[in-house]
Amino acid sequence: MDPADARPLDEPKPRPLTAVGLLARGIAAPSRDRLRSVGWTVISAAATAGVVAAILALLGANPATAFRALVSGALGNEFNFGQTVMITTLLALTGLAAAIPFSARLWNVGGEGQMYFGAFCAAGLGLTLPASLPHWFFAPLVLVLSALGGAVWGLIPGALKALINANEVIVSLMSVFAAILLADYAITVIWPQGIAPQTQDAPANTLLPNIWSGTLVTAGAPVALFCVLVAWVIMARTRLGFEIRAVGLNPFASRLNGMRVGRIAVYAFMLGGAFAGAAGAIAVVGIYGNLPTDFSGNFGFLGIAVALLARLSPLWILPSAFFFAILRVGSNGLQVATGLSPSVGEIIVATFVILLLAFRVIRLRYAEAAQ
Amino acid sequence: MYTLTIVSFGEQREDATPEARGSIVMRGITKAYGATIANDSVDFELRPGEIHALLGENGAGKTTLMNILFGLVAQDEGEIVIGGEPVRFASPHDALARGIGMVHQQFMLVQNFTVAENVVLGAISKWNMAFRRAEVERGVQETAERYGLAVVAGQRIRELPVDAQQRVEILKLLYRGATILILDEPTSFLGPAQVDRLFGTLKELRDTGHSIVIVTHKLREVMAVADRVTVLKKGRNVVTAERGSFDERMLAVAMTGRDLLALPPRTKAHLDEAALFRVRDLVVHGARALHAVHGVSFDIHAGEILGIAGVEGNGQRELVDSIAGIIKVESGTVVLDGQELTGVSPQRLHAAGVSIIPEDRRVWGLVLDMTVAENLALAQIPGGDFSQRGILRWRDVRMRARELLELYDVRPADPDVPVISLSGGNQQKVVLARELARDPKLLIAAHPTHGLDVGATEYVHRRLLEVRESGSAVMLVSHDLDELLKLSDRVLVLFRGRVRYEAPVSELSMDEMAMAMAGTGGGAADAELAHVGAGGDPAT
Repeated sequence: MDPADARPLDEPKPRPLTAVGLLARGIAAPSRDRLRSVGWTVISAAATAGVVAAILALLGANPATAFRALVSGALGNEFNFGQTVMITTLLALTGLAAAIPFSARLWNVGGEGQMYFGAFCAAGLGLTLPASLPHWFFAPLVLVLSALGGAVWGLIPGALKALINANEVIVSLMSVFAAILLADYAITVIWPQGIAPQTQDAPANTLLPNIWSGTLVTAGAPVALFCVLVAWVIMARTRLGFEIRAVGLNPFASRLNGMRVGRIAVYAFMLGGAFAGAAGAIAVVGIYGNLPTDFSGNFGFLGIAVALLARLSPLWILPSAFFFAILRVGSNGLQVATGLSPSVGEIIVATFVILLLAFRVIRLRYAEAAQ
Repeated sequence: MYTLTIVSFGEQREDATPEARGSIVMRGITKAYGATIANDSVDFELRPGEIHALLGENGAGKTTLMNILFGLVAQDEGEIVIGGEPVRFASPHDALARGIGMVHQQFMLVQNFTVAENVVLGAISKWNMAFRRAEVERGVQETAERYGLAVVAGQRIRELPVDAQQRVEILKLLYRGATILILDEPTSFLGPAQVDRLFGTLKELRDTGHSIVIVTHKLREVMAVADRVTVLKKGRNVVTAERGSFDERMLAVAMTGRDLLALPPRTKAHLDEAALFRVRDLVVHGARALHAVHGVSFDIHAGEILGIAGVEGNGQRELVDSIAGIIKVESGTVVLDGQELTGVSPQRLHAAGVSIIPEDRRVWGLVLDMTVAENLALAQIPGGDFSQRGILRWRDVRMRARELLELYDVRPADPDVPVISLSGGNQQKVVLARELARDPKLLIAAHPTHGLDVGATEYVHRRLLEVRESGSAVMLVSHDLDELLKLSDRVLVLFRGRVRYEAPVSELSMDEMAMAMAGTGGGAADAELAHVGAGGDPAT
């Protein structure tokens, strides 16, 4: 017989640890627990670093050298640092794309697709709208409309969830492939550049200005920073954010208390999609200057890990995205310093994600046992 | 060659007479959970062949004490002596080996298994289970008949009503040779007729030499069945008394530490005016039964409490959920104060002046991981309060929360703690505060005191009467007949989704009401059939 079942009725039973419950619990950590949870994050990050070091050692590299190469590869000089900043920009936006629907307990795994569609919109709008539009108007217009495009792409799983209760994981994942094919069609058929697998260059009037000479950092970076702040305000200070959190934590009570659960699902997905769409647009008009194939570097998917590491909190998205950007950019330096294949960088990222999640489970089990 | 080990096991036990087994004595039992002391040097003695009630409010430490006796929890201090021999149980298996068995509030039955399978589960080998099914079933049936437990060994658990499931739990223990039965709040899910029947069974078991502990907080049950009673309060012994030397009043004082206050006098309901709330021919489909609510009609006047009685699973939940806009109304009308509200959304209900105290506050009432302030504003925020162009004014939310916390005496009165950290009674006060603060025209209260201790229950009752006095209509759904009779002006009984009985409380016949709850016009055979049909699942 399970002792847990012998509790008096009045005492809340621990809810089972499903992936859903796991994440939902991270959404609203009570403030008094926040310090302890930061402590946990530090412990788990340290232990994770230990495991990664062990893997590196097994592959025949000196972990200390590798770490140094990783960090200096990402932050060591202005150019690399700039690259890290721009990747942080993209990851912060795709992180938001995951974090906001996740807060409503909607698993948006389609950030990649929403990002692709945003990029498609950015490239397409630049090439089809009259190039005579003034720069101060055209570039922001492209950004905003592309973000809206991302929102529309996010609307698909959100609306299907709300209307017919379609599984949002499957729909959002499928919408990724549709968006990738659409981008490929744009690259090969609609606006082909010629030999290079990319679209024609976006007109100069749509490009985001460089804001740090000697690096690739463009105005996209402050745009992402602004988006993070907006997301934080929405989640913490608005009615919509409150409703998103409430529905995520308890859809039943939310419904009985007058929240329109379906509508909130749609809004959460659209918000997430808009941020991913902005990421795609920034990649096109703020980094590449056109839409190349495989431009995303899987950042749409990596955004999920960013959101989870940030525990779905918009403000924590920034450091979380920065962390993953360091890993990504730094792994280029890894090859030079240690002779390891660049794919080791991918392995490290994956290891981090798996271990952090594992620690999260351990932590919740521990908390439950302490209850 | 296998023999059905369990049968010989049972026979083995029978030759040990109750006297030889002696009393169970728990002495100086202390158990602390962190800073909370659940049992503080508690003494308890169970004599052979008695029914001993362990009485106390929620959190008095009753269940903890019994969990210790059953080997689920280890005591920090104190000893357990059985027949003069000190024992220490590491697990329920150890306890069961000494003939001690426990039926928990939540049954532990496999819904898709038959009665026989559940009874023998874990007690016989898989081999026997698979290949000697008929024999096993016969053995179980014989055991059931020997103890006068009306169950059919071949039936599946999910087809059984709650009281039959409970009998299966008891049978499970008897089959394993238990002679000492601990029943934790055994009547929580039973109607009055079923309670009588359970008590009959318990008395028979006692007369055949079993010892029984019933853990309860209901005075009536102690009066009805207990040979002795031990009262616990805040983890300590208050009194142990023999039948004849206790009465309801004395037990109430022992349990709560004070006399229960009389309820305030009530004014007359506005019966001469047109009814405030009208339900006509309501039909609702349930998850299991096609017609969970089958053409129910009733009126509630301003200043009137209508009590809805019935054994669990007779359409009460669907009735409430359909009015609350959670599940679909197939046909019929719901009208409040001239405004038709059939099947409208929860937000429109709020606007029309309907408040709901839902059946399960932890699922439908509260967002447990949010703060008290957020929960108090849960319905107002979607309604557009506290926000300007979509931006929330948290200062106002928290200020309003402080007011409500004080007004409804919630402890701690801190708007920023997560509501999950509050006790059940205080959680319910948060729900009450939110629902009553908006001055509802109609209040629907579903089991508003379920799982609450006596003090919190009394508080809820007073608040409900206040709502009544303010001229609102109140629809009170409860399994607790005492509560219904105490609060309601009129009671109706639901049986299989229909109104079986309706009467003002002043003219009510308890016999007729009990029969209506059992679905009988007479005849016990009828009742049996009715029970099977009305089966509800306590866990959902």
